[in-house]
Amino acid sequence: MTASRTEISKPEPSHDAPSTREVVSPPLLDLVDVEKTYATLDGERIIALSPTDLQVKAGEFICIVGPSGCGKTTLLNLISGLIRPSGGEIRFRGVPNEGPSAEIGIVFQKPVLLAWRSVIENVMLPIEVMNLRPRQQFQEKARQLLATVGLAGFENRYPRELSGGMQQRAAIARTLVYESSLLLMDEPFAALDAMTREELNLELMRIWKLTGRTILFVTHNIPEAVLLSDRVVVMTPRPGKIKAVVAVPLERPRTLELMGTARFGDIANNIRSLLYGTGQTQGQGA
Amino acid sequence: MRTRAYPVRRVLLQGLPVIATFATLILLWQLAVTMFRVPVYFVPAPTDVLRALALGRHLYGQNLLATLYSTIVAFVLAVTLGIVLGALVSEIRWIWRTLYPVLIAFQAMPRIALTPMIVVWFGFGYTSKIVVGVFSAFFPVFLNMVHGLQTADPDQVALMRSFRASRSQIFWKIKFPTALPFLLAGANIAIIFSMLSVIVAEFLGSNIGMGFLIVNQSAQMDAAGVFANIIILSTVGLVFHYGLQYIGRRLLFWTESDGSRVNA
Repeated sequence: MTASRTEISKPEPSHDAPSTREVVSPPLLDLVDVEKTYATLDGERIIALSPTDLQVKAGEFICIVGPSGCGKTTLLNLISGLIRPSGGEIRFRGVPNEGPSAEIGIVFQKPVLLAWRSVIENVMLPIEVMNLRPRQQFQEKARQLLATVGLAGFENRYPRELSGGMQQRAAIARTLVYESSLLLMDEPFAALDAMTREELNLELMRIWKLTGRTILFVTHNIPEAVLLSDRVVVMTPRPGKIKAVVAVPLERPRTLELMGTARFGDIANNIRSLLYGTGQTQGQGA
Repeated sequence: MRTRAYPVRRVLLQGLPVIATFATLILLWQLAVTMFRVPVYFVPAPTDVLRALALGRHLYGQNLLATLYSTIVAFVLAVTLGIVLGALVSEIRWIWRTLYPVLIAFQAMPRIALTPMIVVWFGFGYTSKIVVGVFSAFFPVFLNMVHGLQTADPDQVALMRSFRASRSQIFWKIKFPTALPFLLAGANIAIIFSMLSVIVAEFLGSNIGMGFLIVNQSAQMDAAGVFANIIILSTVGLVFHYGLQYIGRRLLFWTESDGSRVNA
């Protein structure tokens, strides 16, 4: 338990930051000893996530990689407030998390669009549910966001008329329309073909830059994780835990060509060896 | 919405075989009855049935109205009751635990067997016909509603929860639209069940309605009249079926799968 926690690198050391404000300001998201266990029918306890610490700064892009069963989705569901932790505490802006928050948006692996609503009506769904006003202003914002994600002109189409990639773009617009500052993305592009996936990765980085959101992105694709993130959280299964956090000090904006460079390859290999258990927990700080 | 064209050619291609089949069957029927000299009180020829239809216009009109009245009132009540109880049973835990087993037990009962008693309790008028109709049309609506509400996509519910949606918001924005296609399938069965039960109730205790008429005609060995009656009722059944299907297509536009896909 202690071993798993000491391996986690804290965010950038702040010795060189002269401003004291930056040192004391809490991270956007702070997980302290968060764990999740389930009881099976015959009373056995299954550990889905062993005690975990993680700090996320505002504006960071963090990817979580790991094989199935390592607790990636559990971790995301805990942060979203859809499930409650069995122990520990999740603080959002320093305040303990009590259930789902309007500041956290989720993009699922499936687009989860409502078939009986047009694209724009789907994007407006959170606005209607949260009863945000003025409606007219959000309608205009939804329109702009659809243009941002490349769906201008498709506002009045229905989900079944859209390809998988376009549906996922609409789902992303839906989480951006309200003031969610943290985006949780659970393998959002896993069901798409490789080319659409790369295209959407580039677009996601552009939207992230443009909107200044913080993103927590679950994937089992290592190059995807390296391409997207500032830091990669490496998780291992049985019991699910964070094995290491690897910094990705590659300059932005990033392009697909970057994926062919030696530096990119080194980082990806480091993550790979951490996942397969052969590597030591090195190269975290950078 | 997009309109679908019905080119003349397509209508002819689909319609002609149907018409030809019916025409052949009617012709064979006519030939068999004439050739084997079947007595008209036993099996009437199509021409006898046509004559009965023409002669009995007023009789059929009046009785059909009575049957339609009971059928439609029972149908509307059954659909309303089915939707409301279906929603309550699937949304509220203790109602699920208490009411659902009772309703399932009722569903397993051969309800039509209770019809004579219902006539005794509610009299010879419309009330007993409507009660019998509601009693049998309720279940397909209710069961489909419960099933439909429970087919709601858990991911869609989780999405709504992430927006901090209330239970009623989750119901109206996710569960109810999900249940609609099931509800429509239930309504389609319910309208036929309603008409069937009303006719049976009219057999047993009534002085008006198609069921009453069939019993009378049978007693008078008026086979042509009974056949005419059945043809009218079948036509009404078809109208109900296609009417509901039409409403369904309009209402459930998103379930059509022939939409053109746009590629990214």
